[in-house]
Amino acid sequence: MKLNDYTQNLSLRIGSIHVIAFILLSILGVRLYYLQIVKGEYYSEKAENQRIRMIPIPAPRGAIFDRNGKILVDSRPTYNVTLSNEPIKKINVNDRIDEYAEGLNLEPQFVVERLNLIKKQPEFEMMVLKENATIQDISWVESHYLEYPELRVELQPQRFYPHGPILAHVLGYVGEISPKQLEKPEIIEKGFRPGDIVGKGGLEQYYDEYLRGKPGYRKVIVDSRGRVQSEIEVVPPQAGQDLISTIDLDLQIAAEEKLSASVTKRGTIIATDPNSGEILVMASQPSYDPNVFIQGSSNPEGRKQIAAYWQDESRPLYNRAIQGRYPPGSTWKIPESMAALQQGVITVKDSNVVCGGGITIGSKFTRCMGSHGSPPLSYAITKSCDGYYYRLALKMKIEGLIEMIEMFDFDKRTGVDLPNEKVTQTPKSWMPYILKTEGKWSDIRTVYASIGQDTVVATPISMLRAVASIGVKGKMYVPHFLKEFKPVGPIGEPGGSGYAPERIGFGFQRPEPKIIPMTADQEDLMVKGMWGVVNGGGTGAGIRIPNFEIAGKTGTAQVAELGKDVGANKDHAWFVSFAPAFKPEIAVIALIENVGFGGSHAAPAAKGVYEAYMLKKGIPHEIQEIAKK
Amino acid sequence: MVAIIEKRDLRDFDWLTSLLAVSIVCFGVWQIYNAQPAESYWSKQIIGLGIALVAFIVVSLTDYRRIIDAAPFFYVVGLILLLLVLTPLGVKVNGQQAWLKLPLIGQFQPSEFVKIPVVLMLAKYFGVRQSGTLRLKEILIGCGILALPVGLIMLEPDAGQAMTYFPILAVMLFLSAVKIRYVVLTIVAGLVMVPLAFWVGVQTGKIKQYQIERVNVILDPESADPRGFGYHTVQSMITVGKGGLSGIKGDTETSQSVLKFLPEPHTDFIFAVTAENTGFIGCVSLLLAYALLLSRLVAGARQASDRAGMLVIMAITGELAFQIFINVGMVLGFLPVIGVPLPLMSAGLSAVLATFIAIGFVISVKLRRFVN
Repeated sequence: MKLNDYTQNLSLRIGSIHVIAFILLSILGVRLYYLQIVKGEYYSEKAENQRIRMIPIPAPRGAIFDRNGKILVDSRPTYNVTLSNEPIKKINVNDRIDEYAEGLNLEPQFVVERLNLIKKQPEFEMMVLKENATIQDISWVESHYLEYPELRVELQPQRFYPHGPILAHVLGYVGEISPKQLEKPEIIEKGFRPGDIVGKGGLEQYYDEYLRGKPGYRKVIVDSRGRVQSEIEVVPPQAGQDLISTIDLDLQIAAEEKLSASVTKRGTIIATDPNSGEILVMASQPSYDPNVFIQGSSNPEGRKQIAAYWQDESRPLYNRAIQGRYPPGSTWKIPESMAALQQGVITVKDSNVVCGGGITIGSKFTRCMGSHGSPPLSYAITKSCDGYYYRLALKMKIEGLIEMIEMFDFDKRTGVDLPNEKVTQTPKSWMPYILKTEGKWSDIRTVYASIGQDTVVATPISMLRAVASIGVKGKMYVPHFLKEFKPVGPIGEPGGSGYAPERIGFGFQRPEPKIIPMTADQEDLMVKGMWGVVNGGGTGAGIRIPNFEIAGKTGTAQVAELGKDVGANKDHAWFVSFAPAFKPEIAVIALIENVGFGGSHAAPAAKGVYEAYMLKKGIPHEIQEIAKK
Repeated sequence: MVAIIEKRDLRDFDWLTSLLAVSIVCFGVWQIYNAQPAESYWSKQIIGLGIALVAFIVVSLTDYRRIIDAAPFFYVVGLILLLLVLTPLGVKVNGQQAWLKLPLIGQFQPSEFVKIPVVLMLAKYFGVRQSGTLRLKEILIGCGILALPVGLIMLEPDAGQAMTYFPILAVMLFLSAVKIRYVVLTIVAGLVMVPLAFWVGVQTGKIKQYQIERVNVILDPESADPRGFGYHTVQSMITVGKGGLSGIKGDTETSQSVLKFLPEPHTDFIFAVTAENTGFIGCVSLLLAYALLLSRLVAGARQASDRAGMLVIMAITGELAFQIFINVGMVLGFLPVIGVPLPLMSAGLSAVLATFIAIGFVISVKLRRFVN
């Protein structure tokens, strides 16, 4: 080359530029090798993760029906505004609080809580920002698609309780799983995630795993703004199983009406089939509207209402039937009499015990409501003679009473299929404490215990279970609400993605009843006494129905000392019963708080249920009443 | 201006270099299509190639010596265009006033074209000297020729384009026998000054936060905020890595560019699209094609009949190599994000046209390697 003539090493210099260019290209080649060959799979996965999103499809929860197929709980479609996690992680959420709050009409504080919660979660999850989105909310989200790609409107089946406060305590409600629950290992194991809807209280909670469906999902490809481009796979959700309950809605409504019509409007009515333990009615008042918990948790008014429920001194959220504990008063005398017969303290032939108008223990006189001489058992029941039982219990001794408590399962839960059932408190449970504080169990405590006072506070459900057994040869069934779960078909093919096997239907697995041993003449004597309460001029005579014989026992439980039992401290009124007396089909217990005499307040409430039952069964009674007149 | 095509012209015409350049553009068109199948960038690029080929033939058949003689004229025209960009005739794109919209001609980017007058001007100036090492005065004049257009480009501001001008001067000075010790000194000074300047810039706030982030993501891509200013780099690396050995093979619906994860896929990040679609094999093939093209240019420079011709070719070679390195280095995540197109690949008429004019020049020089 001609330029070589120059004394400047030109050829060498051109050559070095050539070499430098090659070195630069080689560096690029090496880097390419590292990115594509060495780390190729790593980046492939990263690319896939950022473009594939799982959008859950909520599964409809099983409905709940009454025994005749009437709907008690259902789901209806609503719209939620959801926030997806993937884009939100990359932005400063504090910038969006005000926009969300304003656009969706939410409290900024609520938005902050939601955003903080979502930030802790793994990718590809979404969370509800606003439930029950209005048309305005939906159009706001749609029109701000570009600014807030993390927001979406999703169809969400929402729990609906058509009867509102009726049966509220039995059904419970549903809500998002709480952060506290999510910390439990057994909950994590089951695959629960934040935002999942779970049953809270009642049957919704007790049978949650069957009522709950298995959510499906849409596997989609999204672009960099999170907008769905195409769908790869859709796995449909599997619905939860429908629950057929033992509830009879008509009887339930009758019971609710009776409670509403009572003086204090506080109390409970339970009705069961004593031959199986099926619960026909469980009403507890005051009640609450479960729909408030469903719809109200995300709006200020709803949250205020929920707070009010919690703060209300009349405790509307609490199921008096299984969580309320009240001195049972004279209703306690029924299991006590049965135990006395078995223990041989009295016999069918010789059941007379002195009444004496009361008893003096030490220097203290405890009176009977009347003076009944030395009555036999059936008369003592019919007239509710306290003096009889003071002396009977002293003969049985406290050990005899404890034996009775164990026999009738008063030291256990009844096993009803509801969460949070309370255990009755009895001399058995109090004994260790009394011995510790007083050194011995004194006779006066035995006397008080004989009429269901002092150391005895019983749940209405345990009282009903014990008393109802008397009419059915001592068979104490576990009370329950479940009649049947309906089957649900499988989703997908076995082995396929998203496969959900068939969910088989099943009925209630009834445990063998506990048998209270009793002879036929013992049973006959007891039932005659209870029959007399209503039909033989006893304490419940006011509710007599001529062609439907109720066997029952009233109770008037003291809340405060004599003389102070007025106003808020009035006695609790009880009535526990079954009918027809000699071949019972239905057992009813009624408890009205702080109203006074059981025969005049609780018994009429129970009668309301019987009347509804007769109406259903086609047993004529009003016609007869009219005819009599 | 166009010489009558002689038989000798056809015989000596550098068909291989031309074909190589056209092949790379065609490969580029395919990748532009892959990047944005729904858009018409790829068809526009074909039209651009047609226009570029016409300009290429005209330039290659023109006697380069006459063009070099007219260098001052072109240089002044270039400066005027760069000045016009800063007037209301300029068009702002992405915050940079780098485009000029003229009636009849349309919209173009003068900073792409002004490289050619700068190369010519420098070649004219350094081409006349014969022997001995460069004197300081000559170096300063060379710097001055470069400083005027670069200064105007910095006003747009387009640091990326401005940067691509420096290899032109570097090559000119190097081949005009600047003393080796100055070369060594410059390299050492560069190694010290660049980090120092960056540090001073950060401390004084002259370098903006997004620019700092763009550098930080290179140093530590995993801990950078993937949605912030590191986004481009992170997404580009994912796109390249995803290509693997042989690319995604037609699964274009889920490609990074179609799903818009990769920004500017048809222009600055066209190499990432290539990497995703054709994998390591395609990328290495492209790099080899570039290596071959550069080798052809260097070979042409060695055959040049005069010093000015040699300088023109080598300056263009150096400039192309530098631009390839900066662009691909950015795509591969070891250089910061700077808006420099990949020569012959990136969509855009200005860049393709300018590159073909430059290669036309090379052909012209080779055609006239025998002194008449």
